Amino acid sequence: MASTMTKDAGGDVEPLPNRRMDRALIAALRIGVAVLWIQNTGWKRPPDFGEDSGRGLYMWTKFAVDREVFAPYAWFVEHVVLPNFTLFGWLTLIVEASLGAFLLVGLATRLWAAVGVAQSLAIMLSVLKAPHEWHWSYFLMILAHLVIFATAAGRTAGLDGVLRPRWRQSKSKAARLLMRAS
Amino acid sequence: MSGLDRRLARAAMWLGVVGVFAASFALASGPWKPADIKGLPVVVTIVLGLVAIVGARLTMRVVVLVSAVGYLAAALLQLAQFGRSTNWLGGSGSTFALFLGLGVGLLAVALAPTLDPDKETQ
Repeated sequence: MASTMTKDAGGDVEPLPNRRMDRALIAALRIGVAVLWIQNTGWKRPPDFGEDSGRGLYMWTKFAVDREVFAPYAWFVEHVVLPNFTLFGWLTLIVEASLGAFLLVGLATRLWAAVGVAQSLAIMLSVLKAPHEWHWSYFLMILAHLVIFATAAGRTAGLDGVLRPRWRQSKSKAARLLMRAS
Repeated sequence: MSGLDRRLARAAMWLGVVGVFAASFALASGPWKPADIKGLPVVVTIVLGLVAIVGARLTMRVVVLVSAVGYLAAALLQLAQFGRSTNWLGGSGSTFALFLGLGVGLLAVALAPTLDPDKETQ
């Protein structure tokens, strides 16, 4: 019978459990975070993304300047993002929709979890000091993506788990990249 | 083009089931509505989900591929028309995201190589 203890540089450590319930909970976290992104692409409306009315995505983005959280980010939003807001709006919509899409099916999950950390950070730096915002919402978003990254959550009830053995057998560059992304 | 092996067929089956299940979002509202699915997208997601399920049952890649291309076409149509006066699917970015996920997922399954068991055990 295999030992339940493994040895590493730090000495004997108890390995993480690999029970069905634990795997299901990891999948539930990934799918839940995917739904978060999918649902929140619904109110980011092209073609102006709220620029004309001063509402919607434009209003939330402008909080980065009006209620500054981090000065370099506020400068970037004021001088780069807001003057090119239509382009920024489309980028936001496509990145967030892709986050929802890829996390939902568990494809290239670690890559998209890293993108999710970056996007959550950008949102946090925009709205952390906006009225009625709960700062832990954004800390929890970042932490949830870090857990998805650390557990490679697409390998549990996701396509990464089905496709990785095939990518491993392939010699193509795309397969090697997907192995790293999953 | 070889057929789908057991694991690929099961993945296509689950993605098809999710597609059909997404039709139930039409009955949800407020925070319980994951994506804007109502009207025509209900029909689209049921039909394309059933095509994926049939492809999985028959282990036919080409049928799964048809479902994938259908979802991706619907996603692109939604992206192009969302927020405009002409919006045939009547959805939003959430409809785009959902259809994109199902389309990309089914495409990855349909185009995946068959696993070589000899190589896997090496």
